[in-house]
Amino acid sequence: MISKLKEYWYRQDKVAYIFLAPSIVILFMFAFIPLVCSVVISVMNLDIFFSDVRFAGLANFLKAFGDERFWNALKNTVLFAVVEVSLQVVIGLLIANALSGTALFSRMARSVFFVPVVCSMAAIGIVWSLLLDGTIGMIPYFIKEWFGITGLSFFRDSGTAMGTVIAMTVWKNFGYTMSILVVGIQAIPTDYFEAAKIDGASRVQQFFWITIPQLLPSLGFCLITNLIGSLQVFDQVYVTTGGGPQRKTETLVYYIYKIGFTNPFDLGYASAISVLLLIVILAISLPVYFKMFKAEE
Amino acid sequence: MKKIKTGNLPGVVLKYGILILCIVLVLFPIVWLFAGSVKLEKEILQYPPTLFGTKLSWKNFIRIFGTIPMGVYLKNTVIFAGISTLAALLFDSMSGYAFARLRFKGKNLIFIGVLMTMMVPFQVMMIPLFLESHFLGLLNTYAGLILPKMTTAFGIFMMRSYFAALPKELEEAARVDGVSEIGIFFKIMLPLVKPGLMTLGIFHLMNNWNDLLYPLMMTSETRMRTLSAGLALFVGEHATLYYGPQLAGAVVSILPLLVLYIFFQKYFVSSVVSSGIKG
Repeated sequence: MISKLKEYWYRQDKVAYIFLAPSIVILFMFAFIPLVCSVVISVMNLDIFFSDVRFAGLANFLKAFGDERFWNALKNTVLFAVVEVSLQVVIGLLIANALSGTALFSRMARSVFFVPVVCSMAAIGIVWSLLLDGTIGMIPYFIKEWFGITGLSFFRDSGTAMGTVIAMTVWKNFGYTMSILVVGIQAIPTDYFEAAKIDGASRVQQFFWITIPQLLPSLGFCLITNLIGSLQVFDQVYVTTGGGPQRKTETLVYYIYKIGFTNPFDLGYASAISVLLLIVILAISLPVYFKMFKAEE
Repeated sequence: MKKIKTGNLPGVVLKYGILILCIVLVLFPIVWLFAGSVKLEKEILQYPPTLFGTKLSWKNFIRIFGTIPMGVYLKNTVIFAGISTLAALLFDSMSGYAFARLRFKGKNLIFIGVLMTMMVPFQVMMIPLFLESHFLGLLNTYAGLILPKMTTAFGIFMMRSYFAALPKELEEAARVDGVSEIGIFFKIMLPLVKPGLMTLGIFHLMNNWNDLLYPLMMTSETRMRTLSAGLALFVGEHATLYYGPQLAGAVVSILPLLVLYIFFQKYFVSSVVSSGIKG
């Protein structure tokens, strides 16, 4: 018995299955099954109390298309994603370009810009909510003292809430984009810049004609990963506005959470919206994954 | 060192001016948070607001641990993030190693299956996962929090590329010497991918520590909540606490990772850069 077991340790193919077993079991149980079930549940009438479980066909999807709150959440999600990602990539690019060197100042500044990436959104939400509070907040106070503008209440005003959520997210995440782009810029051969300098190209010209074209793969990567991430935006909304005011910051994942895990606990409908979100995300991410896997081969 | 041409001086001043302004903008909220956490409540509420208080007070920390179960949250977060991370490191590298260096039947098929699960975002499968955990009796348990996080397709993918980069002769020499496959993995290969393990470890630790939606969904009882999910219930939209304790709570939740960041900055950056997944 023991000698047989020992023999196993010397067989590549046998050991491979042993090595894979834990991961495969876990992924099958907690990723593959939920994935299949999310499609199944989306065509079911199912709530958390199992009160009236039956096949519903495409009713949940049709319900979404006729649901004003779904369209509002979709609109907010797209608005958030487009504005947040553009800002993050532009700011990240400019700062990465300025700080790609190895000087002490550059390295220290990069360390500082990465600090918010490490912090949890729950903590960041507390900080920004209080800093921007209309009555005791320090930022509204500064704005009043320096620019004479009063009555700002950021997260609590339907006109500024989404903008504030976006600003907070850019503040937290631009260090991530910057870090990727710094690696990309450092990989550009320095001869390119030296040759351009000899030809009399200015810093700005070098930026547009060397840095950006050479950086396109990294920029594409940032753009897509940020886009996928921001289409799933939830944390920042949950900890600051709760989707308000007047549902101006209610995003798709937040809406899914609200329908599925709070009253009315409608799991079928929440799953249908999840499936719609999955389709959008896959349409954006599949080409990137294929490229990434090809690069691996 | 770059020489600064005098004609370029305004440009240089502008550049560094903007950069320093950015540093201030990034650091100000964090400094304000730490300063506020040791201020008296009445100083936080005073108008005009000040950055620093007049005296150092630990009251907020005492209060946050007294009014909400912060100690329990902290313990849960350490257990959840710690065990998930260690388990994922082991299982991800075992699988990554198998895919990178071992020959066996069905390799490509299994690998494609793993990649499939990598492409589907968590948010999409959270409702079935919740139901499944409910039926298995895993809601509000450590097992329920930890089990689904014990391996990740991304981690397998990443460790696979680390193992694939090692020279082929290594294990062949060991095989000739009669070392078992398990021995080759643990004694020879695993020590060689230490940078990969550090990067992946930080990646898992940071994601699990800061995760909000997942623990929010898997736990409904206060005694099982993590720092992120626990704090979120008492602040912002759901605020029921004084301001000072909220700030103290935020400090408690970010301080462990910030300390780690100071020592392992390189791995924090590389974990985020290689993953393309932001927290």
